[in-house]
Amino acid sequence: MASISEMYDVGWEEMRDKLRKWREDNCRNSEQIVDVGEELISEHSSKLGDDVWIIYEQVMIAALDCSRDDLALTCLQELRKQFPDSHRVKRLSGMRLEALERYDEANKHYDSILQDDPTNTSARKRKISILKAQGKTAEAIRELNEYLEQFVGDQEAWHELSELYINEHDYGKAAFCLEELMMSNPHNHLYCEQYAEVKYTQGGLENLELSRKYFAQALRLNNRNMRALFGLYMSASHIAASPKVSAKVKKDNMKYAGWAATQINRAYKLAGRGTKESKCSMKAVEEMLESMQITMS
Amino acid sequence: MPIQLTSQAYCKMVLHAAKYSHCAVNGLLVAEKTKEKKKDSHGEPILCVDCVPLFHGTLALAPMLEVALTLIDTWCKENNYVIAGYYQANERSQDSRPNQVAEKVAARISENFSEAAIVMVDNSRLTMSCFEPIVHIYDHHENKWKGREVTFDCFEDWSEAQKITSALLEGRSYENLIDFDNHLDDLRNDWTNPVINKSVLDLC
Repeated sequence: MASISEMYDVGWEEMRDKLRKWREDNCRNSEQIVDVGEELISEHSSKLGDDVWIIYEQVMIAALDCSRDDLALTCLQELRKQFPDSHRVKRLSGMRLEALERYDEANKHYDSILQDDPTNTSARKRKISILKAQGKTAEAIRELNEYLEQFVGDQEAWHELSELYINEHDYGKAAFCLEELMMSNPHNHLYCEQYAEVKYTQGGLENLELSRKYFAQALRLNNRNMRALFGLYMSASHIAASPKVSAKVKKDNMKYAGWAATQINRAYKLAGRGTKESKCSMKAVEEMLESMQITMS
Repeated sequence: MPIQLTSQAYCKMVLHAAKYSHCAVNGLLVAEKTKEKKKDSHGEPILCVDCVPLFHGTLALAPMLEVALTLIDTWCKENNYVIAGYYQANERSQDSRPNQVAEKVAARISENFSEAAIVMVDNSRLTMSCFEPIVHIYDHHENKWKGREVTFDCFEDWSEAQKITSALLEGRSYENLIDFDNHLDDLRNDWTNPVINKSVLDLC
């Protein structure tokens, strides 16, 4: 099998830079990381300088994702040699045990880190991940809530908690988590849009109106967010179709839905330029919007 | 009455699960619309010719699901298909039972198609070679979803399905699989997956 550098005609610097980009964007494209990283560390490790350690860490985690325990162990051993007493490396050992489903041993690892350093957030979060992996969702939620009482600013944790609540269909509490995230990240269109989706799912006229407002807000922050555009269309349509609203509210929402429909059609036309295949989905969108207009009026 | 899967439907389902092995995934199964049901067609299997991969990650939110169902329903009407089932692969590998989301979507599908089925992918048995079918099929009986024994009869041609799925998994075709989430990220992504469909056809 040809090497990555041969297949894509790239040098080791480009491979290293690609790995850095994936690190910064927090991508979970583990197979690609393993392919690129494995070649980089086996053939060019001497050229990487101090970057090599963070690359070992990145490749190790990706290897665990791909069940490549051989590669993971190689990376881990290099890191252990270089950083013998490090908690960060100990956490990686724990993650390897998790990947092998040896959860009790992994927990012991994390507990010993926490005995040494009770403020170590990574170890605590790994313990919560173990609960999630074992299907102990209620406990995971409880532990995560306790964690967040201490570490109120941990965005990743708030987002994880919102997802756990959504999966348990506890939309009210999920909304609360997303509210925390929106407060600390007022310009993040994705949190706005997810909050709107949760409110929509909760249902009821008040929640639908809130959801429409937040879909609109997400669009204001990023006018290319298709989910927000569709969401605005759906929520406005449902409000307009509701028998409980006044004539004015109905008229306003039909206007919003009409605007959203035009934007959706425009977005599809722009995307469909030059391709025959997407004409079918464009037609489907037009028909869907038309059929919903009929039910609204 | 019971559903049957073609190679294309089965393999795209498995590719979807393989692409997002760390998430839950779901999608819809479509069958060709037949004319009025004959009285003696009771017991004839319904052939699911294709599937449309929907979402990965958080499956329990309503708005995009509604958009997808409406859009795909319109697409089905144009192509003489009908939405006949729903598939899901859960996030955890040991968990392959249908949950509330699966039951809700399937109930919605059942409003238009009375014999809708739920197909759950068994993550724990997902391998490159796929020597045996890795799905569980559930039918609606007396208000409950009951699992049915999966035999080779549940497939139009199991050995073909196995061969094609295994070949596409090894070739990492799942990297090019488009689901509805990918489509919402970039409208140019085509959720009908013409490229993968062609690969399947080429291997038939």
